[in-house]
Amino acid sequence: MDNGFRSRVLPVVVGLLFLSAIYTIFFYAPTERVMGIVQKIFYVHLSMAFTAFLSFFVAFVCGILYLTKKDIKWDVYGSSSVEIGVVFISLTLMSGVLWARPIWNTWWTWDPRLTTALILWFIYVSYLILRTSVEQEGKRAAYCAVLAIVGFVDVPIVFMSARIWRTIHPVVIRSDSIDMEPSMILTLVITLAAFLSLWFLLFKLKTSVALTCKRIRFLENKMEGGDL
Amino acid sequence: MDRSGFLRIEGLRKSYDGVDALRGIDLELERGDFLSLFGPNGAGKTTLIRIIATLLKPSSGSVRVMDFDMEEHPEEFRARLGVISHQSFLYSDLSARENLEFYAALYGVSDPAAKAEELLGLVGLLDRADSKVSGFSRGMQQRLSIARALVNDPVLLLLDEPYTGLDQSASILLSSHLRRLHGQHRTIVMVTHDLKRGLEAASKVGILARGKLVYLKERGGIDPGEFEHAYLRYLKGVPDV
Amino acid sequence: MRDALLIVKKDLLTEFRKKESIVSMVFFGFLLLVILNIAMGIGRELDGEIAAGILWVSIIFSAVLGLGRVLSQEKENRCIDGLLLSPVEPEQIYAAKTMVNFIFMVVAEVVLIPAFFVFYGDRFARHLPMLVVVVLLVNLGFSTVGTLFSAITAGTRRNEVLLPLLLFPVITPLIALAVKVTGSLFEDVPYREYSSWLYVIAAFGFIFSGVGYLLFDYVIKEG
Repeated sequence: MDNGFRSRVLPVVVGLLFLSAIYTIFFYAPTERVMGIVQKIFYVHLSMAFTAFLSFFVAFVCGILYLTKKDIKWDVYGSSSVEIGVVFISLTLMSGVLWARPIWNTWWTWDPRLTTALILWFIYVSYLILRTSVEQEGKRAAYCAVLAIVGFVDVPIVFMSARIWRTIHPVVIRSDSIDMEPSMILTLVITLAAFLSLWFLLFKLKTSVALTCKRIRFLENKMEGGDL
Repeated sequence: MDRSGFLRIEGLRKSYDGVDALRGIDLELERGDFLSLFGPNGAGKTTLIRIIATLLKPSSGSVRVMDFDMEEHPEEFRARLGVISHQSFLYSDLSARENLEFYAALYGVSDPAAKAEELLGLVGLLDRADSKVSGFSRGMQQRLSIARALVNDPVLLLLDEPYTGLDQSASILLSSHLRRLHGQHRTIVMVTHDLKRGLEAASKVGILARGKLVYLKERGGIDPGEFEHAYLRYLKGVPDV
Repeated sequence: MRDALLIVKKDLLTEFRKKESIVSMVFFGFLLLVILNIAMGIGRELDGEIAAGILWVSIIFSAVLGLGRVLSQEKENRCIDGLLLSPVEPEQIYAAKTMVNFIFMVVAEVVLIPAFFVFYGDRFARHLPMLVVVVLLVNLGFSTVGTLFSAITAGTRRNEVLLPLLLFPVITPLIALAVKVTGSLFEDVPYREYSSWLYVIAAFGFIFSGVGYLLFDYVIKEG
């Protein structure tokens, strides 16, 4: 019962957060003077980039836990996380492209952040391809765990090497200061919260579906064994 | 060395993706035993061999051989283990001699060349020692495979369907080799579904069905005809112990 | 280390007999040098960075051909089980296979790089010792990640197809850095201006030596 209640509350929370995010983005946060309305994509863009990165970090941790504990649930968590991460990183890239066209007058530029995001997209899509290529569960889990670890270890190197190309990406948030008006910060926080809650909802749904599938397969196999 | 409890398997289980390959195996062998384990495909024979060989980890239960620490230092155990499978583990582009020298060196044999020479003589391949393995017949590869498994003078030999793909004369030759190995007081565990060959050399016989050891007896009191009957009965899966 | 060297010796002996990997690597790399020359427009004077790009695309693409064989050849007759059943530690197998791949790359490069100078001009050969350093460091990075990934793909149904799909995303930064540094060499840029990139290449190799060493055990064994 408790589980049923919670599984109904979470979508409502996510919905409310998204409504507030949309409201604050369009009616509360001021329109930026230079860029105009296009700047509003930034709230969504940054939130999605952050969630994508979080997904890959979760997959990295799950990869380590799987290899050390050999418990298949860590594979379920890790792979669910990567799937969600790939969706978000794809959306990050798309929203970035939409923003860049009017502002930079080009769809794409080889900026370190863009390049990093693109290479991450490649790495984690290859993870999904790998998943479809291995039948045996234990093997697939081990291979994917290794790829999730290697992929994440690669991130700082990707970012460092991407500095080869000069940057034109705006640096809004630095370690010592945030280059935004307070109302904009609040909008960003709400949007970020909305996306994090969405991430959590998707993660819960995805993992519970995957675990149920496993359970059904397990029971089917048990039944077959008993019938023989 | 104490003769009893050379190999002890307790409550061994292994499942893949929820499919139970082994469903609780208990088994004890003494030094010098030759156990032939029969079972249909999918009974878990290969899984059992791979677990004893430390290639696979069991889901639960334990395998102990002498007093080797199979968890922490499996390489010490593997140094005294020999495995012969229907796969030869031989490099087809190397000669018979090179294969044996390579494996002997891997096991840290002090004089790999002399060891290779000795084993080639043992399996009767001296005249073909410098030919590439790719040109060998299945039977010759299997003989070389026996030599390969002996480079480290193993105390325990595991045989996984060694008769697969062998013709009549090669099978007879393999059986005589196995008898000789057993004569040297090695402990041998063989899984096969070839009843005739399996019974020939064994000192104990067992039947593995659906992941369980459903039958285990000394070879001595067994009449081959009766055993075949019992085997077929277990295949149909009537009594589940 | 002794065990690893035994495996290296065995692999080199096999390769010396069959010349399977190295001949395909050299042939394919050479072919790419020609195709890319045509693609860039024959007779055109190329600037350093583009020439470096051509060189590295040829080397890396040809190296992938050899990489796929390094572990999949052990699957024949299940020789890999023979290795895993011996007292040799899996880490030694990883070290051996990485070395073998490294050596194959060096042999291919000994042919491909001079061929590159022939096609694209020997003015690029001015800083040869430094080029050798760059090449060796990139080989290290490629071999360490590559060997780990080839162990993964050797265990799948689609080995040859899957290997480049998994490998290229992860080594994209390595390729980018290699092109950058080599391009700087070709353009006579002073050392201090590209040295930091060179360190990142070295770091890539060392980080992934460690990662591969730690993780190889998990991908080479099943279940």
